[in-house]
Amino acid sequence: MLKAKVILVALGAALAMPQALAGATPEEDRKETVEYFKQMFPDVPLEEFVNGQYALNEDRRKQWESMQDFPPYEFAVAEGKEMFETPFANGKTYASCFENGGIGIRQNYPYFDTEKKEVITLELAINRCREANGEEPLRWKKGAIASISAYMASTSEGKPINIEVPDDPDALAAYQDGKEFYYSRRGQLNFSCASCHVQNPGKWIRADFLSPALGQPSNFPVHRSKWGELGTLHRRFAGCNNNVRAEPLPAQSEEYRNLEYFLTYMSNGLPVVGPATRP
Amino acid sequence: MNKPLLTIGISLALSVPLAAQAGAKEDFNEVYAKAQSTHQDAGNFQWTTTTDRMKAAKTSAESGDYDKAASMARQALKLAQESVAQRKQQQEAWRNAAIGN
Ligand code: HEC
Repeated sequence: MLKAKVILVALGAALAMPQALAGATPEEDRKETVEYFKQMFPDVPLEEFVNGQYALNEDRRKQWESMQDFPPYEFAVAEGKEMFETPFANGKTYASCFENGGIGIRQNYPYFDTEKKEVITLELAINRCREANGEEPLRWKKGAIASISAYMASTSEGKPINIEVPDDPDALAAYQDGKEFYYSRRGQLNFSCASCHVQNPGKWIRADFLSPALGQPSNFPVHRSKWGELGTLHRRFAGCNNNVRAEPLPAQSEEYRNLEYFLTYMSNGLPVVGPATRP
Repeated sequence: MNKPLLTIGISLALSVPLAAQAGAKEDFNEVYAKAQSTHQDAGNFQWTTTTDRMKAAKTSAESGDYDKAASMARQALKLAQESVAQRKQQQEAWRNAAIGN
């Protein structure tokens, strides 16, 4: 009797410890996040979250729909396709670096490379491909890299986002790091990403209408009218950091890649809709 | 007139502003160095406002206005200290806001 109790207590302690350290699993986080937004916006179908603010605001949605006949990123996508198919100086193409020749794979990015022990985003893979083939890397936030990424995303249109956190302590650490970044308050204004995109989506902040965290990375790269061109997800991260007077981190820094890993994992199962347009 | 005395008199008169100048410069250098290292301690919690004040301090120092430079550096230091406090505070506090923790 006494013995059984001792064993139970010991078991309880053994179970409680790792749980307290590791927190919830990514899949538990994701389910809770989906549930949270479903309750916040019971009338919005789940797949609609990929349309960001347009899922929540009728006026904005109408303006957006009227743009769909001649989307401003079309030229960039065509240009991206051409670059994607043009051989490097050594005769190889981007296709040689990717699974399935790079077609229809956007939904699997970012992934955790268990050998290199780091998160690989699509843009990072594009530049690593160039370097492996003796080409100079492209600049990270806009221009050619955004066009190529946009073309690759367009070949995955509608495919469900499929991010995996493998059973590997380093992969879990990268995910946790991204999660911590997302929920940590930063900058002189003392806001976290979640202050705006978890606690306040559907509300106005000056002239902007806040989108929910769920579905956010799905429409990237994005053509913003403010930019007048396509930009990558990390360009947007930098802008959002800057807006709260937090020093942005470099595009493709470990912090931003881990952040993308966490944020994209939350959107698992939602369709790829990039490239898209935003104000 | 006593020439050596006059020289001393003149150099004293000159050295007051020079000493004040030297004092302001040292003051600036000291505060700026402290602001810089505190800003580094903020890691990936640095504030853009700190960076702005640091730049303004540097520009003033380069133009020889050490009073203004020191004042900017003091502002930078204060902001940098707040950002370090935010970093420390968030190490645990982020969990309270997180879904799934
Ligand atoms: C002060 C509020 C605020 C904070 C804090 C903030 N953002 Fe934003 N964010 C915005 C606004 C405003 C927009 C543009 C409107 C929209 O789509 O939500 C935006 C847009 C975005 C988008 C594009 C959404 C889309 O549909 O294209 C992403 C992704 C994003 N933010 C991520 C982040 C991340 C990651 C953080 C934390 C590093 C963050 N934001 C912090 C206000 C904020």
